[in-house]
Amino acid sequence: MERFERLGDGRIRVTLHEAELELLRSIPSELRVLYDDEGADPVRGRLFPRAYLDPTAEDAEREWRELVHPELVRERLAALEVLTDSLARASGAKRDTVTADLDADDTAAWLGVLNDARLALGTRLDVTEATEYDDLDPDDPATPGLAAYAWLTYLQGELIETVMLDLPDEGAAD
Amino acid sequence: MTSAPVETAPPDVEEAEALGDPELEESVGTDKPWLVIVWNDPVNLMSYVVLVLQQLFGYSREKATRLMLQVHHDGKAVVSDGNREKAEADVARLHARGLWATMEHPS
Repeated sequence: MERFERLGDGRIRVTLHEAELELLRSIPSELRVLYDDEGADPVRGRLFPRAYLDPTAEDAEREWRELVHPELVRERLAALEVLTDSLARASGAKRDTVTADLDADDTAAWLGVLNDARLALGTRLDVTEATEYDDLDPDDPATPGLAAYAWLTYLQGELIETVMLDLPDEGAAD
Repeated sequence: MTSAPVETAPPDVEEAEALGDPELEESVGTDKPWLVIVWNDPVNLMSYVVLVLQQLFGYSREKATRLMLQVHHDGKAVVSDGNREKAEADVARLHARGLWATMEHPS
């Protein structure tokens, strides 16, 4: 099964099993909590990090955050809506699988939501570059999260590869 | 941030001194731009970093890949520079894509 198929007009067709569709459908409500919450959750710290490296630049940091944070949240909430709408359009021609056709806006939203889902899950699970995802222990409580993380990583990777096929090698601004 | 950053002409030293802003005075005095740095993290895919750098900055695949590998191997890389306004806008755009970016002014 080709996970992502380019349709030739800039759109991409994604094929999902029912269980995968359900997993993706569950993401927006989880992320919405993180976007709205004002707490000092380490996950939130990773989704909305500092701009100023200098710890003494607190005034500049605060001014920047006041300026950009609402827009960053707004954009992310909008992406959740786009993802949800695209999943609602998913329909099945074959048993157990559904497809959805994504335009450029859908694809951008998918990339962003998948990345945020991975950032949230990965930060919570404290994944490192050395974390293994094969032979997960079924009795380990971290296993379902790691398995979901591994699958989201695979899915995002496939989508990126697909998008890069239509991205030019040459730069406009090297 | 959705709008393109606006390049403003940098104030001259006298202006900066008159405004009484030591940070501004410093950046004008040394005439060095702010640096935008992307940091390595264990979650972001290498391919994703390349994609984002190409899409946000219009870099070639080669340049975007070179910067990504620098992030990966050295822990960080300078991906753009400019005046403070531009750097703040670039950091915001990188954060919007989930990259971990900060800005600093070399002393």
